[in-house]
Amino acid sequence: MAGSMELPTKGGFSFDLCRRNAMLEKTGHKMPGFRKTGTTIVGLVFTDGVVLGADTRATEGPIVADKNCEKIHFMAPNIYCCGAGTAADTEAVTDMVSSQLQLHRYATSRESRVVTALTLLKTHLFNYQGHVSAALVLGGVDVTGPHLHTVYPHGSTDTLPFATMGSGSLAAMSVFELKYREGLTREEGIALVAEAIRAGIFNDLGSGSNVDVCVITKGNTEYLRNHELPNPRTFVSSKGYSFNKGHTEVLSTKITQLKLKPEVADGDAMEE
Amino acid sequence: MSIFEYNGSAVVAMVGKNCFAIASDRRLGVQLQTVATDFQRVFKIHGKLYIGLSGLASDAQTLYQRLVFKHKLYQLREERDMKPETFASLVSSMLYEKRFGPYFCQPIIAGLGQDDEPFICTMDCIGAKELAKDFVVSGTASESLYGACESMYKPNMEPEELFETISQALLSSVDRDCLSGWGGYVLIVTATEVQERVLKGRMD
Amino acid sequence: MECVIGVVGRDFAVVAADTSAVQSILVHKTDEDKIMLLDSHKLMGASGEPGDRVQFTEFIQKNLHLYQFRNNMPLSTAATANFTRGELATALRKNPYSVNIILAGFDKDAGASMYYIDYIATLHKIDKGAFGYGSYFCLSLMDKLYHPDMTVEEAVDLVDKCIKEIRLRLVVAPQNFAIKIVDKDGARDYARREIGGDSPAAATTAATVATTA
Repeated sequence: MAGSMELPTKGGFSFDLCRRNAMLEKTGHKMPGFRKTGTTIVGLVFTDGVVLGADTRATEGPIVADKNCEKIHFMAPNIYCCGAGTAADTEAVTDMVSSQLQLHRYATSRESRVVTALTLLKTHLFNYQGHVSAALVLGGVDVTGPHLHTVYPHGSTDTLPFATMGSGSLAAMSVFELKYREGLTREEGIALVAEAIRAGIFNDLGSGSNVDVCVITKGNTEYLRNHELPNPRTFVSSKGYSFNKGHTEVLSTKITQLKLKPEVADGDAMEE
Repeated sequence: MSIFEYNGSAVVAMVGKNCFAIASDRRLGVQLQTVATDFQRVFKIHGKLYIGLSGLASDAQTLYQRLVFKHKLYQLREERDMKPETFASLVSSMLYEKRFGPYFCQPIIAGLGQDDEPFICTMDCIGAKELAKDFVVSGTASESLYGACESMYKPNMEPEELFETISQALLSSVDRDCLSGWGGYVLIVTATEVQERVLKGRMD
Repeated sequence: MECVIGVVGRDFAVVAADTSAVQSILVHKTDEDKIMLLDSHKLMGASGEPGDRVQFTEFIQKNLHLYQFRNNMPLSTAATANFTRGELATALRKNPYSVNIILAGFDKDAGASMYYIDYIATLHKIDKGAFGYGSYFCLSLMDKLYHPDMTVEEAVDLVDKCIKEIRLRLVVAPQNFAIKIVDKDGARDYARREIGGDSPAAATTAATVATTA
């Protein structure tokens, strides 16, 4: 029979739905939008490290899909990366490079360098000619000191003392242009990044909710998740809605008891 | 019309106290025509792990069949059930593999993990994961579900109250969506039992 | 325009389809059989692109025969439905068939059953259903008049009412219909409903409908 057997995938993209989707598109069905991170992401270099910042709003068209998402992605213990653009792409591309860096560390027993991450990211993005739409702010500290880069979806990169990306980049950049200077202290750096993100949150509709910050210095990384919460819920009732039992009309009920797993006595815990 | 709206759907999951609920509507339509009112969009992966697939019905079925296949292979290889987090990553990578020719499905994954800690998550059709601590929604009724859940949800609900809340959120949301409704299907999962209920809904 | 209708009764299923082969405004013929007998106890009513329809239904039929030769037992109706969906779904990703299918069958253990499979490979078990422009009239009629333990006469009467409604209300109504049935005794032709009376089979059964239409 002509059925296709499922084989383990070799990695990489699969294009076998494209023809069908083109057919459906021709019959007048609109293709769906993907979850985007209409975003403000920023980064700056201070005296002994880098500070990265991001808002926490994820959007799907005009709808806020997630009010508190994470846009600062882990790359290596000393490298983090902010992502803007299509959520799935930023997530996938940072995860992939992060795995490659980990393998590289296992092979070399040395701390990852920011340029390595940068090169891996830009080659992947360039190969896909902008179709993998990830706009990134990459920051980290390695043996050669602190580094900050921006990566565009087509694979071009910049090396900068301060950078912004995403739909709120203009608002954030105006803050940086006004207040950034060389030789900022750690506290000044965090405050400036938070202010730039707030500019995005309040002036760009695609950005919103909270401020996430990540501070990377030599030998130390501090991820300040929800560093500021400038938009608390104002509309929630203290009591909330409560429904009486049996309020909903039910046509049928089926209750299945779950079998409890037998406890294994005297077994050694498996190594992770 | 978007391809997501071809069959019509509403899926929602909520977290309670050591339990979770996942619910969906029961309509199968072809644009504005209703074909059946007993369609399944919530599927069991194992006793404590469920997936709801909104969007194109055909892709929901295909995706479900592939997932069951992969989970069975995992069970044979590992002699254990998959953790919800692992399963979510599996679904995400399966969807992202088709980044440039996607399945038209937006999945919701709900399960009890280690120590029966509830886990819920949703994705877009190319696998961008969104983890939530309270509730997740998807389907043509997602906009009204966002509103209903946002106001009706409370943390740490017991199974009975969770059932009422998710049912009311679902039923009120599908009333504002032409393409979904025609009854509801709710699963309440605790560490010891699974309650499966079919809800009566409006038939218009 | 094309109409395929199906109803499951107490221990049988009825499938009806129009018999017109049409291309743009031209009716090529009015005795095109769109309900294929897959094996002794299965009917496949199909509508859609004529080439695809014939190619695909024959492909399913031949594979079913092959299965029966190899294993000395026929595929159940549910298995056939899932096989058909699988083939449609894999073809969909390469070279799609545009066919909508109503599959009815009778199994010794499960009794009569019917499945809805559309061209994008949505599979659903139903007990009444329709495809094509006719469905806009038939589905409502069936919702009102259908009940699960219908007799053959009642079911055929329901199908006749559907055909009557199509002829009365559908601008591009097809002339003739074929009705087939499957029950414990197998799948077979049941009747034809023809307007012109130019077919000998029409004389006996189509009288009631022909006069009203």
